[in-house]
Amino acid sequence: MEIDVEVDVKTAGYGKALEPRETASNGVLQNVFRDRVFNGIYQGTTWQFHRYGLNCKLSGSVYAVSEIDGAIPLIHGPNGCAFHQRLTPRKMYAPIYNLPYTDLDENDVIYGGEEKLRKKIYEVYHRFHPSLIAVLPTCVSGLVGDDVQGVITEVEVPCDVLYVPSEGFAHRSRESLDLMMRDFAESWKDPTRSPAYDLRGCGHEEVMFSLVDQLMEEQDIVENLVNIESFGRFTYGFESELKEIKHIFGEMGVSVNLTLPTCTVAEIKRAPAAELNIVTRNIRWAERMKEKFENDYLRKWFFYFGFDGVEKFYHDVASKLGLDGEADAAVKKEKKQALGELGRYQRMFARDDFAVSTQGFFFTPYLVSMYAQDLKLPIKYLCVDTQLLKGLNISDVTIEIMMKNMEEAFLNWDLGFEVVMNPTLDEMSEIAKKVDHVLSDRITPPLYEKGGEIGMIDISTTRYLLFRTGFSGIVEFGEYLASVLHRGQTKRKPIMSRFDYDTTYYPLLADPMCMASREMWFTMWGMKSKKELRETGEG
Amino acid sequence: MDGGKFFGAFRACSGIQDAVVLTHVPVGCNWGAAMFKSTSNQPDIRQACTVMHEREIVFGGEEALREALVRANRLYNTPLFVVITGDAPAIIGDDVEGVIDSVTLNKEVVCVDAAGFKGTMRKGYEEALVRLAQLMKERTVIKNSVNLIGFCPDEFKVDADVKELTRLLNNAGIKVNCVISKCSLDEFVNAPAAELNVVMGQGTELAEHMKKEFGVPYLEVDYPYGLEGTADFINAICEHLHAGVNEKKPDLEPFKRIYLYLHELYGTPVSVIGDSHAEHMARFLDSELGFDIEVLAGNEDDYFIFEQNVRNSNTTILFGSSFERNITSELRIPLVRFTYPVFDHVCVYDDAPYAGFRGAVCLTETILNAVMGFGDKFGGLTIKTEEG
Repeated sequence: MEIDVEVDVKTAGYGKALEPRETASNGVLQNVFRDRVFNGIYQGTTWQFHRYGLNCKLSGSVYAVSEIDGAIPLIHGPNGCAFHQRLTPRKMYAPIYNLPYTDLDENDVIYGGEEKLRKKIYEVYHRFHPSLIAVLPTCVSGLVGDDVQGVITEVEVPCDVLYVPSEGFAHRSRESLDLMMRDFAESWKDPTRSPAYDLRGCGHEEVMFSLVDQLMEEQDIVENLVNIESFGRFTYGFESELKEIKHIFGEMGVSVNLTLPTCTVAEIKRAPAAELNIVTRNIRWAERMKEKFENDYLRKWFFYFGFDGVEKFYHDVASKLGLDGEADAAVKKEKKQALGELGRYQRMFARDDFAVSTQGFFFTPYLVSMYAQDLKLPIKYLCVDTQLLKGLNISDVTIEIMMKNMEEAFLNWDLGFEVVMNPTLDEMSEIAKKVDHVLSDRITPPLYEKGGEIGMIDISTTRYLLFRTGFSGIVEFGEYLASVLHRGQTKRKPIMSRFDYDTTYYPLLADPMCMASREMWFTMWGMKSKKELRETGEG
Repeated sequence: MDGGKFFGAFRACSGIQDAVVLTHVPVGCNWGAAMFKSTSNQPDIRQACTVMHEREIVFGGEEALREALVRANRLYNTPLFVVITGDAPAIIGDDVEGVIDSVTLNKEVVCVDAAGFKGTMRKGYEEALVRLAQLMKERTVIKNSVNLIGFCPDEFKVDADVKELTRLLNNAGIKVNCVISKCSLDEFVNAPAAELNVVMGQGTELAEHMKKEFGVPYLEVDYPYGLEGTADFINAICEHLHAGVNEKKPDLEPFKRIYLYLHELYGTPVSVIGDSHAEHMARFLDSELGFDIEVLAGNEDDYFIFEQNVRNSNTTILFGSSFERNITSELRIPLVRFTYPVFDHVCVYDDAPYAGFRGAVCLTETILNAVMGFGDKFGGLTIKTEEG
């Protein structure tokens, strides 16, 4: 049934609402908002602290192990490591309380900590009765040279024991992210050139690799069965996205074996039964599975977003499984239904002119393409901000390449808007006068509402709906945006707008001590990269 | 749950509010210390890291430290650097003092050896303060003045508590010369001007050092929770300084407004875990609210045994840190956070202390709200109605 956007004002003032669309939203948007509020208050804040430092590799390992039902991480190190790794950055909402440690002291540094580890493994088993104990060495046990793998082989406990190399000094470098950004920028123009290599692990990858190498067991491969790599149940909208993927897979005749590592130990052992692994992060573990158990894999690239991208993703999965044809038809049906639902909002958007303020990152061109081509927002100006890249210590050279390639991609796709790089407050104010709405997919009121009183529609949270491997998120986004446009904006004077922010490293305050600390981190971390690259011949 | 020597040293040194702490460690130790410190003070970023990487592990971290010092010297407009060395440089044997001596800096530099495996958080705190004491200068004694020793900048309610205790002491005619460690470098340097050091839970080694070096006597007192605890605190200091006590009797009116609730909570079984404040908190809960203390544990005690003891007790309220959220959730009882680390509550209002007379009111209010607003109190209960 064709429904136009007839506005039904339920109540005056606050709470004006559009008529609900025909298909229930299944609470996807609420799911994302809940994750943003209850998890994001920690995670979003922690993200900003990456301007001053980096969490330990050990914390990535602790987090990944904590995703496995029935597993206990055991830290082989002093008490201080266990003390603060309980608060692993990706899971600050739910610290890891059960985190035993071997409590290495000066004596162990001299004589070795192997005996303590042996005893602790038995103790941990008797305290927790886990299905798996994951032993995570630290800087101290790594430097002392304890034979952790030897101890694990010797101990006899009625559960599995895993070794994960997690020494904190063996971490990724700044330059590696810089190089990867540069290669991604090249692949925007030609997705076949997407960089097929990994960033050095931050703990998560090491756990994944160890699971493949030490825990998984040979299985008979079951046709049309897939494993999905997760980045943990605390990822925004994880639950609802998984539900939609399973639904679409079900229509295609594909079953999900497990989400890795968010599953039980027994399920991990049976992971090689899957015909295909869907990789969302690094590929090293999947390569190892292919080599060891002959499971094929498909990496979820940045171009698998948007209506066409999502369709391509399911098409590529179907191709890998030999299900072309019938499976493609099922996906097309889902897509058609979603497009039908989105139509009413597209017609509403078509009445106005938009400017979009976005930040340059891996996915930016494809995100903008979704705004323009899927949601059919008549965008007049696209304002791209490179602050995030600066904040992540990406070099000026790489930023320049990224911006150039982004503009070329927009020209090739004939998106028809004017690109404005790093607009000043005055420029932004002028742009705002020439359009009906300014959307911002990052939290910008403190910068723009303060001086120019530019009213912006904040889509920083809802844009997560667009990064889903399904069609419903785009429809939900359209519905949300339509309701916001209809509701209109109140004139706000946020307290946080009254502070002075550093314009380059927003949202950091314009505070000399903060800026000096940021600069110190940038240069000290950068120095490691240069040395590392010189040694490996990459630079 | 003890954080180890590195964390203790970091907490002591970062309390010098115009100092920059340069941690000579791999990235993780630096990150962890910053995380716990920043919950209630996000712009206070005064630390940098030498970023010890594999290269430094193999070839030594001295060059990285030298680079960091030179760069920090240029970037920070601050009078003091404190270099804290952690586990890795201690094991590989970096000559940290040698590096510091080899560079020309326009700041004071103090070096603190704080490898985590070398001791407890308390030990790290004590030793770091003694190292910092090399900056102190002999000063003419200011009559009726005290230093308050034992604080950390990242303690829950620290700003409000210091403000309240300063108010109370000022009312008694006593000047607070320096709060250690939550002061400027200038105040720290001039700490020997105090007539008396008041040690509140930790910092005894610094007090001993100052007694020996500068002749400043010291007094060890409980952290002043509650009306009685606060009165004892003021009386003890006044008695030592021969000062008169001018503080009016504590205002009982706020307690009167909720006296029926206090009746109902009398005899409540509770447990307490924490740092040096835990025992003093337990004393207030027992003596003035009439709670029964079931389990009292320190950070250095075995945490697993503590949890088991709480499970085996009748505990209905637990007083501790954010780390106790798990056990309170399991037992479906409220958690009152009062001790480090608190990372899931913020405290930014300086007039709502837990210490002192005003603190007794705020703390009691917090406890009542924790109990009355506890959402899960009837979880699992089924109430039968006539229909059902």
